[in-house]
Amino acid sequence: MSAFAKYRHAFLIGLQSNIVYRWNFGIRALFSLFHLAFVFVLWGAAYGGHTSIGGFDLNQTLTYFIVILVMQFFIGAFNEDYQISEDIRNGLINQFLLKPINYYLYRFSIFVAARLVSGLLALLPIIIALPLLKDHIVLPDDTWRLVYGLPAMLMAAMIQFTIAYIFGLLTFWFLEIQSFIILSLAIETILGGQMFPLDLMPAWFFRASQWLPYYYQMYFPTAIFTGRCPDPATALNGLAIQSFWVVALLALAQFLWVRGLRRHTAVGG
Amino acid sequence: MKPVDYLRIWLACARYSVVRTLMFRFDFIMWALVEFCWMSVNLLMVSVLYNHTDSIAGWSKYQMLLLVGSSMLVQRFIMGFVWTNLFEMARNIRTGYFDFFLAQPGNPLVMVSTRKIDLDGLANVIVALAVVVYSVRQLGLTPSFGQLALYALMIGCGFLIHYGILLITVSLTFWLGAAQGIEGSYFTLMEFSRLPRQAFKGVAHILFVWLLPAVVVSNVPASALIHGFDPVNALWLLAATLAWVGLAVWTFNRGLRRYASASS
Repeated sequence: MSAFAKYRHAFLIGLQSNIVYRWNFGIRALFSLFHLAFVFVLWGAAYGGHTSIGGFDLNQTLTYFIVILVMQFFIGAFNEDYQISEDIRNGLINQFLLKPINYYLYRFSIFVAARLVSGLLALLPIIIALPLLKDHIVLPDDTWRLVYGLPAMLMAAMIQFTIAYIFGLLTFWFLEIQSFIILSLAIETILGGQMFPLDLMPAWFFRASQWLPYYYQMYFPTAIFTGRCPDPATALNGLAIQSFWVVALLALAQFLWVRGLRRHTAVGG
Repeated sequence: MKPVDYLRIWLACARYSVVRTLMFRFDFIMWALVEFCWMSVNLLMVSVLYNHTDSIAGWSKYQMLLLVGSSMLVQRFIMGFVWTNLFEMARNIRTGYFDFFLAQPGNPLVMVSTRKIDLDGLANVIVALAVVVYSVRQLGLTPSFGQLALYALMIGCGFLIHYGILLITVSLTFWLGAAQGIEGSYFTLMEFSRLPRQAFKGVAHILFVWLLPAVVVSNVPASALIHGFDPVNALWLLAATLAWVGLAVWTFNRGLRRYASASS
């Protein structure tokens, strides 16, 4: 079986198993609309008496949050870290050690399938709410934003997944990793720009955040698509740093996998 | 069983929770840190917004902090006293392990809600209180003992309303079964408790201020400290508490009838 065929099968299995959980994603997507309502109420009130905050008007800021929401369902890691942790804890990982299959690529194939399902399901409530949202969506029409935005989005997905994978691998050393994951999620929420656009932070903080991987998880592709990234040169510079983080995180993941397996004990037949 | 029996069982459970926490000290520190970080995220949000504006819906920065602190206080009590119990209830309904609670000689709702206490959640009550005290001082308020007692009572009502909402959400598992993660929707709804009532307009005002109790739980206690006692607001909070707790108990009992266990 060719390498591509192996992971295509993993992708198809992932697709089927995630369609089983369509109600989970559907409910989650529906409740994400409530979060969007929270954003609209809060920022609507914050803009009271202001035409611009941080150089952007209310609709531009609301568009930013709508795109972030769509991004979360298309490229965000949901519970991949937990699934990997469970594989290690329950010994399910042993089967992958005996087969000619790369565990990272296997998990990544399933992640792609899961995000395809959750992303498409998340679009449904957004489409339903479109009559209410459409007047607030203002996207710039520069072609370069699509050219740079799509690879930024793909690499953001890789960063998201690889960080989740790394947290999952921590199970080789720690029995319980849930607290690490949620702690990291809090940091991601701020440094990934999910709570507020990062450009609203003080200039020194914004500049420092551009050197961290979290910036490239959500904020960077969203900023390209929504106009918060001002020009192609800035986007290109960002893509270069993002590529570095993809490679660095993949190297770290491989290192932890090799070191972790040395600690791992496969018991039973 | 008499109320005193429930109290004795609860004390025994509390003692067990403390012993368990002392056994897993690193876990306790990590989870307390996790909750502290999430609280900081919300405080940072307020700070960032007020770097760009002086007022949100007529609320100044420290009034907003008081509101957020009050909301956090209620939520910390929920995390400390009932979250784990109700989170596990959803899982137990799915696995059939819920039988364990039905076999106990007490009210299933009390038994299921009071089994564990999370000290990490309760530890952050101090942080939430510190936010409230800091905001009160920054606002130059000097609440009387009566006002403080009233505030505490209102926070208690907020706790019961949150408990009711959480119980209704988790009880949906009786009908939905495999819908994992539904308990997380409670957090989505309660996000609105960090917003001032005046920020809501139109449909959002009807939905979140009047139909759902997201706004009343934090706005009424915070307003009582800022503007003094308002009997209309107090009655509104009391009525919401009775209505939501009543609805939650009813939903739980209806759900219980559908529970089919999972044993052979």
